[in-house]
Amino acid sequence: MTEIVDELRATRPRASDALRLQVLTAASRPPVRHASFLDRVRGRRLALLVPAAAGLAVVSAVAVGVTRPQPSARDAASAPTTVDRTTAESGVELAAPPAAADASTAQKAAPGPVTGRAQRYVATLALAVEDTDALSEATQRALAIARDLGGYVVNVQYATGADGTSSVTLRVPSNRAGDAVTRLSALGTIVAQNVQIQDLQEPLDSLDREVAKLRARIAALTVQLERATTSVERAQLLEQRAQAHAQLRELRASRAATAAEARNATIQLELRTEEGRGAVAPGSRLDRALDRAIEVLAWEAVVALALAVAAAPLVLVGAAVWGTRQARRRREDERLLASS
Amino acid sequence: MTVTRTASQAAPRPTFAEVVEEHLDDVFGYLAYLTRDRGQAEDLASSTFEKALRLWERFDPERGSARTWLLGIARTTALDWFRSEARRRRREEAAAIPERVDEAFVEGLSPALEAALATLSAGEREVLALRVVLELDGDATARVLGISPTAVSTRLSRALKRLEERVSEE
Repeated sequence: MTEIVDELRATRPRASDALRLQVLTAASRPPVRHASFLDRVRGRRLALLVPAAAGLAVVSAVAVGVTRPQPSARDAASAPTTVDRTTAESGVELAAPPAAADASTAQKAAPGPVTGRAQRYVATLALAVEDTDALSEATQRALAIARDLGGYVVNVQYATGADGTSSVTLRVPSNRAGDAVTRLSALGTIVAQNVQIQDLQEPLDSLDREVAKLRARIAALTVQLERATTSVERAQLLEQRAQAHAQLRELRASRAATAAEARNATIQLELRTEEGRGAVAPGSRLDRALDRAIEVLAWEAVVALALAVAAAPLVLVGAAVWGTRQARRRREDERLLASS
Repeated sequence: MTVTRTASQAAPRPTFAEVVEEHLDDVFGYLAYLTRDRGQAEDLASSTFEKALRLWERFDPERGSARTWLLGIARTTALDWFRSEARRRRREEAAAIPERVDEAFVEGLSPALEAALATLSAGEREVLALRVVLELDGDATARVLGISPTAVSTRLSRALKRLEERVSEE
């Protein structure tokens, strides 16, 4: 056996000089066609395909997120559910805008007092601001707005810590209430809004009628007093007139209070930093763009998964056919070499 | 100890001319044993290197040696030739018995060994050429033939045994 192996190795075939010259000449020439980029990466095609597809998906998602950063339905669904829907005693329906709405929406949604009628107007605004610096600035601007509109500050509570809160109670002339709500809404992101309008005109009219009746009664008592003949009768009429005067004073005070209530609107402004909110407020444009991009990425993943699921049977069948053909070809090659 | 190959440590890629110079005899010898025809082996070797030149950009030294890569191409080229030969033979057998010209495909072999080699199949000569003549290891031979190293050992053992028997008979 060893002798055979030695002889086979000792007589190892060598190419002829003619073949050597021919092949070396061909090898020294530059290749007719340079390998294309695809040729060069053919072996690594799959390795390139996956990151390329992932990159394309991310780029498209970011592009969509940047060009369409408006809040999505998901944002609205996840917004705080502190929106109130109240029917005031006067029957005026009051609605607060969704938390994600902007100031312009708030302006449309917040009704102002009806001019020409006495009304009690109470608005509550809950706003989110970015941080404590923004909280301080928004609080000061709220006070300035009240003064600017001819109103005044009833109460201010300002506190900062891990998160900041500020509570401001303002009173502004009723005819400027709508303007005030609009300007205050722009100080942050609206989280909740509630407006209550109660009609006071009817109570005022009722008080006016009571006053007129009392005045008439006092006048009548005065006439009776002038005509009284006995001291006992005069004493009784004087007592009745004094009571009527006391009632008149009470009615006037009550009317003055109601009228004062109608002259100024009360606006309760609650400011809170984003970190302190229980729910996440709609963020900046960048945040919304990122949210949108992530949403698009999620959809792309869903579509890719669906395509993979749909294509999987075809791929399996294709792989099986390819494997079968390869195995059959190999068997044919073996048979061919065995018979040659 | 973990050895990490970096680009700077990787073996430099040879030029195609260097590969031709180094492995032409290997490719020719393999094809000579496979076809048992020196002239045909030269034609197939030439075709092999033409293909290799076209595919040279795809050769990756990290995935295998140039010799293994070239022998794989040579085998594919030879199999194509065998298939076309089989078709041609079937056509010719229908008309007339083909005349085969036997000549020495390896210079210097004893007549007995050459006659014994002639009785082996191409598949047996192929594994002898790779493992014995070209002295490829089992793994490289398995890669060229597309079979497992164990199958290579089995096939080599059987080929050597048959060759020895034939030489003895001669």
